[in-house]
Amino acid sequence: MLIPHPLLGPRDAQEFTYLGDARLLERPDPAAENAEARFCDYVYLRDNPAGVHRELWFHEHGDRSWLVVTRDTVTHEILGAELAADVKGAGA
Amino acid sequence: MSRIDGGLIDRTRTLTFRFDGRRYQGHPGDTLASALLANGVRLVGRSFKYHRPRGVLSAGSEEPNALVTLRSGARAEPNTRATTAELFDGLEAASQNRWPTVGFDLLAANDLSAPLLTAGFYYKTFMWPRGWWEKLYEPAIRRAAGLGRLSMEPDPDAYDKGFLHPDLLVVGGGAAGLAAALTAGRAGAQVVLADEDFRLGGRLLAERHALDDAPAADWVRSVEAELAGLPNVRMLTRATVFGAYDHGVYGVVERVSDHLARPGGAVRQTLWRITAKRTVLAAGATERHIPFRDNDRPGIMLAGAMRAYANRWAVAPKGRVAVFTNNDDGHRTAADLVARGVPVMAVIDPREDAPNLGGYPTWTGAVVTGARGRRGLSAIEVVRNGRPEWVECASLGVSGGWNPNVALASHHRGRPQWSEEHLAFLPGAELPPGMVVAGAAAGNGTTHAALRDGAMKARDALEELGVRAAAIDLPEAEDRPDRPAAYWHVPDRGRAWVDFQNDVTVKDIRLAHKENMRPVEQLKRWTTLGMATDQGKTANVTALAVMAELTGKGIPQTGTTIFRPPYTPVALSVLGGGDTGAHFRPTRLTPTHEWAKAQGAEFVEVGQWMRAQYFPKDGETHWRQSVNREAMAVRKSIGLCDVTTLGKIDVQGAEAGEFLNRVYSNTMATLKVGRVRYGLMLREDGVAYDDGTCARLGEDHYVITTTTANAGLVFRNMEFARQCLWPDLDVQLISATDAWAQIAVAGPQSRTLLSRIVDDADLSNEAFPFMACAAVTVCGGLRARLFRISFSGELAYEIAVPARYGNALMERLMHRGQDLGVTPYGTEALGVLRIEKGHAVAAEINGQTTAAMLGLARMVSEKKDSIGAVMSRRAGLVEDRRRLVGLRPVDPSRQVVAGAHLFTAGAEQRTETDQGWVTSSCFSPHLGSYIAMGFLEDGQDRLGEIVVAADPLAGTDIEAKVVSPHFVDPEGERLRD
Amino acid sequence: MTDLTPITALGTAEAPSVAFGPLTVAEDARLGLASLALRRGADVPEPMGLKLPGPGDCVAGAGVGAFWTGPGQWMLEAPGRAEEDFAAEVARNAPGCSVTEQTDGWAAFDIVSDAGAAPVDALLERLVNLPPASLLPGKATRTVLEHLGVFVIRRAGDRLTVLGMRSAAGSLWHALTVAAKRREDAG
Repeated sequence: MLIPHPLLGPRDAQEFTYLGDARLLERPDPAAENAEARFCDYVYLRDNPAGVHRELWFHEHGDRSWLVVTRDTVTHEILGAELAADVKGAGA
Repeated sequence: MSRIDGGLIDRTRTLTFRFDGRRYQGHPGDTLASALLANGVRLVGRSFKYHRPRGVLSAGSEEPNALVTLRSGARAEPNTRATTAELFDGLEAASQNRWPTVGFDLLAANDLSAPLLTAGFYYKTFMWPRGWWEKLYEPAIRRAAGLGRLSMEPDPDAYDKGFLHPDLLVVGGGAAGLAAALTAGRAGAQVVLADEDFRLGGRLLAERHALDDAPAADWVRSVEAELAGLPNVRMLTRATVFGAYDHGVYGVVERVSDHLARPGGAVRQTLWRITAKRTVLAAGATERHIPFRDNDRPGIMLAGAMRAYANRWAVAPKGRVAVFTNNDDGHRTAADLVARGVPVMAVIDPREDAPNLGGYPTWTGAVVTGARGRRGLSAIEVVRNGRPEWVECASLGVSGGWNPNVALASHHRGRPQWSEEHLAFLPGAELPPGMVVAGAAAGNGTTHAALRDGAMKARDALEELGVRAAAIDLPEAEDRPDRPAAYWHVPDRGRAWVDFQNDVTVKDIRLAHKENMRPVEQLKRWTTLGMATDQGKTANVTALAVMAELTGKGIPQTGTTIFRPPYTPVALSVLGGGDTGAHFRPTRLTPTHEWAKAQGAEFVEVGQWMRAQYFPKDGETHWRQSVNREAMAVRKSIGLCDVTTLGKIDVQGAEAGEFLNRVYSNTMATLKVGRVRYGLMLREDGVAYDDGTCARLGEDHYVITTTTANAGLVFRNMEFARQCLWPDLDVQLISATDAWAQIAVAGPQSRTLLSRIVDDADLSNEAFPFMACAAVTVCGGLRARLFRISFSGELAYEIAVPARYGNALMERLMHRGQDLGVTPYGTEALGVLRIEKGHAVAAEINGQTTAAMLGLARMVSEKKDSIGAVMSRRAGLVEDRRRLVGLRPVDPSRQVVAGAHLFTAGAEQRTETDQGWVTSSCFSPHLGSYIAMGFLEDGQDRLGEIVVAADPLAGTDIEAKVVSPHFVDPEGERLRD
Repeated sequence: MTDLTPITALGTAEAPSVAFGPLTVAEDARLGLASLALRRGADVPEPMGLKLPGPGDCVAGAGVGAFWTGPGQWMLEAPGRAEEDFAAEVARNAPGCSVTEQTDGWAAFDIVSDAGAAPVDALLERLVNLPPASLLPGKATRTVLEHLGVFVIRRAGDRLTVLGMRSAAGSLWHALTVAAKRREDAG
């Protein structure tokens, strides 16, 4: 599998470590009232779609960037990849 | 069979080889199969289940019958297809699956039991008595079943791997492939052309076609020469593209020296990972046969193979020759043989409008219904005009049509599509991304069409990459369609073989249908059809055509089974990529490794690291003697231990302190410059996962340590926090584990020793108290870092210098500390010392335990958030009342083993009464007793109680007293001295 | 200066150098290294006159060099100056940046060809799964080589440097020399 790194171009997936659903970017507010319930969902619940999935990959043997990769879990087609720090920054 | 003129063999050289112990001769260019056939050897093996005599069926990698064990000793390779094994001088091969000989095989008795051995028989037999399965049935079946045998010796050869990134990968070097490669090569694209054969040319080498009125081999030669001269083209022969993976990645095995008598030190095979922007699959087509009664006699082969042996290998079929075909292509065999002076009795063709290509009679509306000659065909039964007739025949070529090789096109679960016009499956609409199919593999199998299709598909593929390729001149060639008839098998009550290798007949398919195993995936697994080393290449389509007839559903609706890599068998050695033995994985050595080796240390693997485990001295005969001595030396004077392997992460930035406050559960923001603090890290689910130290070397500069095993994980998690959770914090991270050699100097004399090497140091307790840190210099100006931290519980420090000086520093410390009784200690003594102090390591922080269980509840701050803090307070974790305790066996000489489970004395030992478990255990020389640590329900309230540590695997129960885990110096006075 | 004697990453007194046909593989035990990371909101500095390169690139200046290692992060090189506190010098020349000593974090191996780029390209084909564009002169990147994370720095067509974890120097040396020998044997 090839990951299209936004800065370095297509790279072998073996350079990366896979973490999972990109919703891990949205860490709940620990001070909120129902924080514990929200954290439970954050830690344990996943949609696991057969289809387009946004997920986190760590370029461990590369530039050590975390990437948000949009990948079709059925065909493995990769529709895009961006630096997680940029995604987080844009959403903030 | 015997030699005729012509062929692509080198008659100027003669090669000698052995088969089943007998000597024969052949020529360069022969395969083992062609050479055996040239020597009149037709019987080459026994079938899998029934042990029926078998001969060569094909001339390629689809071969189901002629499986031999090639070579001997450690290089013996079972299940080698004689049809693809290149002949070399001194080649040795043996037939398989027979005893004592292929000519006289006792297990042929299986053939007599055939009615009992039908498809799926093992699901219905060998069930009673139950106990006999393991003791009798299974061993017996194992001995009788299987084909070849492994040598059971280590593979002596070397394997390699490589990576290529062409613009265009061309799979197959026949007419279509060569045209594609030439088109792309001339356009300047980076091209890789791969073919499984040892020569390029594909079917062009097997046919008598003329290209522009010249032999096809001439054209092949000229194209090959041109491609060889192009620096942007790489040709890989003897290279099988075995799998199409994601994103244009292909797996290829190149058999570099399989064909050499002595591979010697040369690489045997290479595993190529090819990442291609575009791919032209020009894999050709494979012929199928027509099942009829007893169609598996040696001497019956595929018609295309029969003429390949005549045209390419100059081998004439033996005796009286006939051809049985339902398509025009089969007639070529007769025409080619006649052209080479071999008479053909007849071409037997069920079609009323069957053609005649000249020189032989065509029997139209006729079929073959039987064959005689167990060890070699002697006669066939033919039905024409409704009348059966036995005729003498020693060689029969059979053609049921051609199946495009769609496997690679289907590796991404794309289903091939049935073409009524071709009476074959063509590549489906959904191909692996970037792949196009050309030539016979796409159903464009005439030579004329294949050439043009290959060139055009290459041009189109390059167009997509923005490369303009010129149309190339292609020779004129034959363009005759096959006109196949949908005649799939000759109906009969006897056995008609479909899958030769797994001995599956039409009867078995009927039985599967009767037992409702009708979907093709179930048909396959119930009958094992298509599951052998040939993956049913000559059988699958025929089989599902038979099933389609039985169900009445038709072939398109019946469909095919899923195609999976590898296309043909791949040796595990080459998949390993060449790394074996000690170099199978990387090894990491500590900076003092050379010194430790010179000391005679015993080493232990800790993940990828080699660490000194203990340092045996003269006279010590058991490791515990060394370990006890080392541990006592630390408590009495000083010990030295290389602790470089613990992860070190350099953390800097204006908000480094705030960042660390969020990744550690305890407060780090208040850590002052020049101080170190023990830190605990939780997972976001609230469970503890790592601990270490955090040292503040400067205002914005920290160095943290992790456990050895988790160095990579902690770094990854910290980068996740930095980039994904809090990208606005000003903090930068980098790993520094290898950069600094770190040596623990531990024991009451450690301050004295360190004062002798630290330049201008005031190491007094006032100037450098417990948990202090500083940048210093040692040994006349070498930059170093000093940390006063203790894992042993004694007065201790860790001194770090640039790794290249680690070895010399260790030597210096040993030298300067001689009079102080300095002793090197390894991981075993390290373990004893920390257990004596009740310090948690991975055995306690094992991913299932919480801070509270570890007795570190106060280390999860309630004043600030950190990773895991919220979830650490959830009821499910808080309810767990197991606490870390120490255990002292009532009998100090009995070991309380790690893994033992704890029970209240006198209680029945069941899961429901389980009180906890033992995590770590050792012999404490300081206390003269075995000691242990573990988790016990409400342990902190049960000090003094005698519990039972049960080890059901060893069948022991040991009584132990619950004590504080801080066995030695529980007040920690020595630390702060 | 200290009287402690350093050893090479391979654990020897002298850095080894072995020839394999046109290729020579040698440890460079004298390469100083320091990591430089930008702090938030900071401009990219030009320490010691170096124009810090973009993703995938390396540059060489007067007695120093640099290659990109990540967003806002570079590795600076000081050939021949491994015994010095190069990180301190970089920190002085790039105030406000996060600078970390990296000299002994890495084992450096130089591969030099006396027959142009082809032998180096042939070697790289066996070692790393990178497209040729990432391995042109002036390119530098981290990747996987025989299960090891390494930096591959193509200084010129005929010169390559591979940096691997110092602790794994032996494994990396083995991988490089076996591959070089096989290329030599293959002719």
